[in-house]
Amino acid sequence: MKNLNIFLAGIFLAGAMPFGALVISSQMQLGPLGPAPAEEGGPLFPSREPGLSIQGRAVYVSLGCVSCHTQQVRPAGQGSDIARGYGVRASVARDYVQQKPVLLGDRRIGPDLANYGARASKIDIDALLRDPASSGAAWHPYYSYLYGRSADGKSIVPSERAVALVAYLKSLRQDYSSPEAKLKQ
Amino acid sequence: MTQENRSDHPQGRPPEGDSRLTRTEVQLRGPFLLFFISSVIWLLAASVLAVIVSLEQGSLSGGPFRDCEMLTYGHVAAAQHNLFVYGWGFNAFFALNLWLLSQLGRFELRNGWLATLGGVFWNLALTYGVIQIFAGNQTGFSLLEFPREVGPVLAVAFLLAGFWPIVAFARRPTGQTFASQWFVVGASFAFPLTYLLAQLLILWQPASGVVQAIAHSWFVSNLLLLWFGSSALAAVYYFLPKVLGRTISGYYLAPVAFWSFLLFAGWTGPAALIGAPVPLWLQSIGVVAGAMLIIPVIIIAINFHGTLSSEGGWSRAWNDTTLRFVSFGAVAFTLFGVLNAVFSFRGPNAVTRFTSFAAGQEQLLTYAFATMVLFGSAYFILPRLTGSLWPSAKLVHVHFWATALGAVASIVALLVGGWQEGKQLADATVSFQQIAKTGSTWNTVLSVSAVLLLVGHVAFALNAFGMILKSSAPASAGRHD
Repeated sequence: MKNLNIFLAGIFLAGAMPFGALVISSQMQLGPLGPAPAEEGGPLFPSREPGLSIQGRAVYVSLGCVSCHTQQVRPAGQGSDIARGYGVRASVARDYVQQKPVLLGDRRIGPDLANYGARASKIDIDALLRDPASSGAAWHPYYSYLYGRSADGKSIVPSERAVALVAYLKSLRQDYSSPEAKLKQ
Repeated sequence: MTQENRSDHPQGRPPEGDSRLTRTEVQLRGPFLLFFISSVIWLLAASVLAVIVSLEQGSLSGGPFRDCEMLTYGHVAAAQHNLFVYGWGFNAFFALNLWLLSQLGRFELRNGWLATLGGVFWNLALTYGVIQIFAGNQTGFSLLEFPREVGPVLAVAFLLAGFWPIVAFARRPTGQTFASQWFVVGASFAFPLTYLLAQLLILWQPASGVVQAIAHSWFVSNLLLLWFGSSALAAVYYFLPKVLGRTISGYYLAPVAFWSFLLFAGWTGPAALIGAPVPLWLQSIGVVAGAMLIIPVIIIAINFHGTLSSEGGWSRAWNDTTLRFVSFGAVAFTLFGVLNAVFSFRGPNAVTRFTSFAAGQEQLLTYAFATMVLFGSAYFILPRLTGSLWPSAKLVHVHFWATALGAVASIVALLVGGWQEGKQLADATVSFQQIAKTGSTWNTVLSVSAVLLLVGHVAFALNAFGMILKSSAPASAGRHD
């Protein structure tokens, strides 16, 4: 440890090995993944995200929703994700190939959202964002500022951001078969 | 150390209040104070935000700021986390590492303006990044939330502000090296590379799909263990023998501790991805590395606790302000290492995954260990650099007790509350409403501890800023040797 060059080379190697093994080899293994049919001739999943969902993802990121919500369903035996109805199967790497950024999350102050679009209606999502307490989620932050009043002041109108966010949340689905995770018929 | 306790000054040094500074100290005084003052300001800001976060998290009605988009939970939590890590943690360690290496290698900081420039860039980029988070311009990756244009500026600023320990190591006059130097050089060399690669693969040229999450877990483990962990370990390796006036017990094991810590720390990231849609081999590596990290933790525990346990070391540590904080941190590090090893395994991890438990482990490492060590270091260094005494002994006591109690309370709340939450989450019949209700007690504890920590930090800031302001000895009047 007296020779700086050898010392720094040691530190560099100690850092480069995990980077190569964890990150680079993961990229080599998972990088080629793309949308694929569960069976030959079937539809490709995950499907391409509509433009409005992509805008909604940006709103989701901007509001920091990822600090309370995960988007990953663990396999049966590791937690109760499937029993809780968060998904019909465990999430697999292919489910995320269309997503930029990937928002797996690491904290569940609120429920998992990987398959949220399959279990919540647009009306439910709108109501939850506008007035969580009335939707039975009193601990959820209020997003009433995403909504305004109509010109006559009689009705509540979602802003463009609210429309995009709801479209994004509605698009979150992992209820299809993929080569790595086939749904039971 | 205070006016009431001035006889307790470490051996071989002028007592506090002595304005004589060595040439080395004169040269690093400016950059050191810039980093130190910046770090304390950011710590105060992060502490205020932590109180807001705990109120928002604990409030069933959405909190007092529910209609304010800027202060929505997702903004405040991210801003608080980044301010604590990059504002407090980095600035404070820039200062401490610079001081440690200059002391150990008698390094003269001839181009201190470069470090100052780096500090200015760092803090300007940080300010811009936090404003952007409040404005809703964030990335969605924890501890990389700043918009991507901030990354390169922070990297350049780091090279200017945080690379000096390596220069100091290269220019040391003797062939002899010490454990503190290894850990500081390791931290200063590993961080910029890690940060740049993470920026590239997550924000600039995002890797494919979940590889982003894998790269992110690798980055976070490096940031926490190799920057916070290594830098704080360096300080403990310096202050324990320095203040106690004895050598580290089992010091011959320290090289093993250093290399094994460095070797295993970088592999632990995937332990945070157990159950995630990433390859199983990757998760297994994380588990093994998390368990193997116990090797350096045990050696470091032998080094630290062995030193403190001989010849009334604990009693002396309790009666010395610096060592009281530093030994608190040393105990916290051992606890962190043991918890990290146990909860890397799949069984316990399945329970605590997605709960506040991980935040509790991070709090143990970054606050109870690293921050307490930083406080202890400040009590040792500042009197030497300012030539003044700490203005108030009472504020020192308030600082220690408020931060110690606040740290313990918050860690217990996060760990025990997290375990309880995990047990409930594992039972599909327990609804989220019930879990939120059970968690409200722990949220109250977290709010109280956030206030306690704020009180402690205000006491520390008042004392430190008072000391710097009243410092009457201009650096140029110092002793030159």
